[in-house]
Amino acid sequence: MAQLVRPQGITLDRDEALRYVGYSGQAISDELLERFETLAQACERDLHPTGIWETFPAHDAALTGILKGEAIANHLAGAREVALMACTLGAESERELRKHMALSSVDGVLYGACASALVEAVANAVEAQVVAAAAARGLRTNFRYSPGYGDLPLDVQPALLGALGATARTGIACTADNFLLPTKSVTAIIGLFDADTPVPGGRSACATCQLRTTCELRRKGTPCHGHATR
Amino acid sequence: MDMQHVDAERLSGVRLADEHLRQALLGHEFLILDGAMGTQMQARGLAAPGVVPDLLNFSDPEAITEIHAAYVAAGAEVITTNTFGANALKLEGRASVDEVYAAAAACARAAGARYVAGDIGPTGALLEPLGTLSFDAAYELFAEQVVAADRAGCDLILIETLADLREAKAALLAAREHTDLPVFITMTFGEDGRTFLGTPPEVAAEVLSSLGAHAVGLNCSLGPDELLPLAREMARRVRCPLMVQPNAGMPRMVDGQTVYDVTPEQFATSMEAMIAIGASMLGSCCGSSPEFTRALRAVVDAAGAPRARAYEPALVLASAQQAVVLAKGSARVAVIGERINPTGKPKLQAALRAGNFDYLVGEGVAQAEAGADVLDVNVGLPELDEVATLSHAVDTLASTLTLPLVFDSSDVVALEVAVRTYAGKPLINSVNAKRESLDAVLPLVKRYGCAVLGLTLDEEGIPPTAEGRLRAAERIVEAAEAAGIPREDVVIDCLVMAAATNQDEAREILRAVSLVKERLGVRTALGVSNISFGLPQRGLMNATFLAAAFGAGLDLPILNPLSARYRDVVASFKVLNGQDEGSRDYIAAYADTVDPYAPAPATGTTVAAAAAAAAAAAPAFAISVPPALADASEAVNAMIHHILSGQKGPMAQATEALLETHDALDVVNGIFIPALDEAGERFDRGEFFLPQLMASAEAVKAGFDVVRARMESAPDAAAPAAQRTVAVATVKGDIHDIGKNIAKMLLENYGYNVVDLGRDVSPEAVVAAVQTQGIRLVGLSALMTTTVKAMEETVSLLHERVPDAAVIVAGAVLTPEYARQIGADFYAKDAAETARIAERFFAS
Repeated sequence: MAQLVRPQGITLDRDEALRYVGYSGQAISDELLERFETLAQACERDLHPTGIWETFPAHDAALTGILKGEAIANHLAGAREVALMACTLGAESERELRKHMALSSVDGVLYGACASALVEAVANAVEAQVVAAAAARGLRTNFRYSPGYGDLPLDVQPALLGALGATARTGIACTADNFLLPTKSVTAIIGLFDADTPVPGGRSACATCQLRTTCELRRKGTPCHGHATR
Repeated sequence: MDMQHVDAERLSGVRLADEHLRQALLGHEFLILDGAMGTQMQARGLAAPGVVPDLLNFSDPEAITEIHAAYVAAGAEVITTNTFGANALKLEGRASVDEVYAAAAACARAAGARYVAGDIGPTGALLEPLGTLSFDAAYELFAEQVVAADRAGCDLILIETLADLREAKAALLAAREHTDLPVFITMTFGEDGRTFLGTPPEVAAEVLSSLGAHAVGLNCSLGPDELLPLAREMARRVRCPLMVQPNAGMPRMVDGQTVYDVTPEQFATSMEAMIAIGASMLGSCCGSSPEFTRALRAVVDAAGAPRARAYEPALVLASAQQAVVLAKGSARVAVIGERINPTGKPKLQAALRAGNFDYLVGEGVAQAEAGADVLDVNVGLPELDEVATLSHAVDTLASTLTLPLVFDSSDVVALEVAVRTYAGKPLINSVNAKRESLDAVLPLVKRYGCAVLGLTLDEEGIPPTAEGRLRAAERIVEAAEAAGIPREDVVIDCLVMAAATNQDEAREILRAVSLVKERLGVRTALGVSNISFGLPQRGLMNATFLAAAFGAGLDLPILNPLSARYRDVVASFKVLNGQDEGSRDYIAAYADTVDPYAPAPATGTTVAAAAAAAAAAAPAFAISVPPALADASEAVNAMIHHILSGQKGPMAQATEALLETHDALDVVNGIFIPALDEAGERFDRGEFFLPQLMASAEAVKAGFDVVRARMESAPDAAAPAAQRTVAVATVKGDIHDIGKNIAKMLLENYGYNVVDLGRDVSPEAVVAAVQTQGIRLVGLSALMTTTVKAMEETVSLLHERVPDAAVIVAGAVLTPEYARQIGADFYAKDAAETARIAERFFAS
């Protein structure tokens, strides 16, 4: 059965949250910054993130229907095991998002950016557990790869959630169009490798991304994975 | 009406297999349910990946029967059919719901089950508003299962492992409305003591047992020790037997296998504590085996008969997330916020007419922050469809706020539509002592397990004396009990008359509150501010009357929580009635405040000085002051500064001041529009990032609101372009609405009337709205490559059905080329461009 995680005291990366709403060094008034900080703190204080993860042998039947496409095959080439993970900010994040959006679009947008940064931090915390558990067993890992990256389609979400029992244990569900609900949720796949096996792949690359032709972040030279465009 | 009578009433018309089941449902005898099915399938190697457990009833009926038979042999009386996922949505056409239940019930019968429970699990999809499955669609899925279970010969319906109270309500209503078999329902809670959607046990217990479930409880997730405090919380609130099916402890991974950490013996010992708090329907869940049932059977046999539950009669009003509990005998008071009511509120009226439900959220949040415990929701306006409006208002408030609601309407149909899908226990406002009213409202209150507010007026009007009001109240309470509504669910409003016109009645009202409370043992409410009609300093009169009414026994004042005078009375009374323990809240709120009666020193800066300071601090702008405003260049510059620095605070006052001496159109065209354009250009140049652009728009909106208010009060003034209406929507299948929301905001602040069709909107719905409202410009947004297809369909359907409507498309994955390809009239790369396109479109 998958491991349930309730990360405590997670802080969100302010710079990352601001980057999500297009910040790239403009002068910001104190009023706006204060508003942003209040919402960031509300996010950290009021939401209760949950994560779940489990490792499977690389050719386990439980992974059927999840590892679709070339990109994930390359990502996991030579892996001994595959870790699946999911995390969410919970139903409360949806209610708070709606509330802030109804009260003020500015607050709604800022809160949404903060929540995105927070769920990213939660995903990092869950990933860190996977990495630590792997390291304890002498295994190495590569970065987490999410549905929607490269040619890994969103339609693997139901199978991924199903393999983790994530809906029953964390409340993460999927719409008919394979969007996660609550919207501030993340799923990902991580490869676990023997110490003497080369670990494939660097960080995520724009080259295989479906949004590469229209991506504003890429155009500005600040892509979503935080490095220069490649 | 005593509890025994209530229990008997609860079982009238219910089809019961035998006398033991009847005694169990009365709480007089124990009922033993079986344990884990999935765990036993795994142990037998039946649960390979890809196997649909519900289909094993066909493919391997012997194995399923064998699992059931082992539980029967161990002493289980109720055998749960292997149908946890047997709804049409999850079966995906692999088998019909009917045949799965028939096969599953046959397995349970073949195993020698004394009672067969038709098992119903969650739909597997999230319901609106969080998800996309509608309440009615969920209801239909459950109804099909209930009918199939009944037809298959089940003895009872067991709805289990639900995490969403709204879904639980859909399932329970589907069962109650499609079978006369008894219905058991359990929800599942996490370590934080709440379901995933935030429902605590006391709310689940109150809402589901008020709705007429025959047994309510909790299952799965946790072991018996972890569930004990949650079960205890439920025991106080359930009006029917309490059911408990814990897991075999907490799961752990050992050598790649899931093991549970509680042995059958430990489980049985822990279940003794469940028996002690009054649980009488007992079984087990994940990780258990027939050994658990055998051990449980032994402690149940030793216990003999169920213990009394510590049921605590109380008025409970609940949202899905929280309950306001006024327990019998306690002196607590709770404030009902009255501001969501259009009577005498032009802004709220305008918002309701425009379908702007966000305005209601603002009113709700303000009242919640000011200390309201419950919110009254009244949206009755003669020209509006109250059925749709009340429903929409309730859905909006329930998806943004956690306070319980009062449904305030004289339209019984509107009440029923809203209450049917509400996840919680609302107070229905109102019924009165007239036969006609009692006959119309009480059946609704009973059917949906609500509380009800009774007004002390009858065919003769409002009785002038306390005794007369008491008689009307008696009539209401008697009729409620006759309809099966316990008196703890009744609140009586003794009706406040104005002291200016009915001075003698003031004392009678207060006496009536005391009499009703003492004689009838029900809670009381009053609409406090009616007392001061026609008198000066109404706040003073209201506050004094509120204090007097608290003294007379008022429990639920209906008032405006934003009034500081009211808040002072409530906060100080909560010290006197012991609700504010140790006066902690009172001290926190008032320790550092100044007595408003003490003379205050004159301080503060003038508006003009502040504006001058702001202007001095402002850097030079590219906007020149237009000639019509030349004589006020300082004020104009200050306003432009407010807009470009995104400060909405000073805008209303500054606009107000400028409008004293200048024309509204000059202010709009000379300041608002150019400043907003400047913000848009800065955004384009990358000098502003998105929230800065939006904050500028928000500042303009604060000014616009003042202009609009002026125009509305001067009817012959130029109306703000009524035809300048834009519909916006996120297309079918897409739930990412942030881009659409930003575009909406900017358009509104350029003075457009924006019709927001929401997210996940079908092409047909877009066309219908555009046709009925004569809209000429439509903005569509899609974030994902997968939903661009839906955008294309929407564009082509719009062009086919409404040829003169133009479409703007926007979204991260679109390009100008692709926009042309799918036939869109315009492509906008962001919200600012959407506004510019609209400007050009309506100018042409």
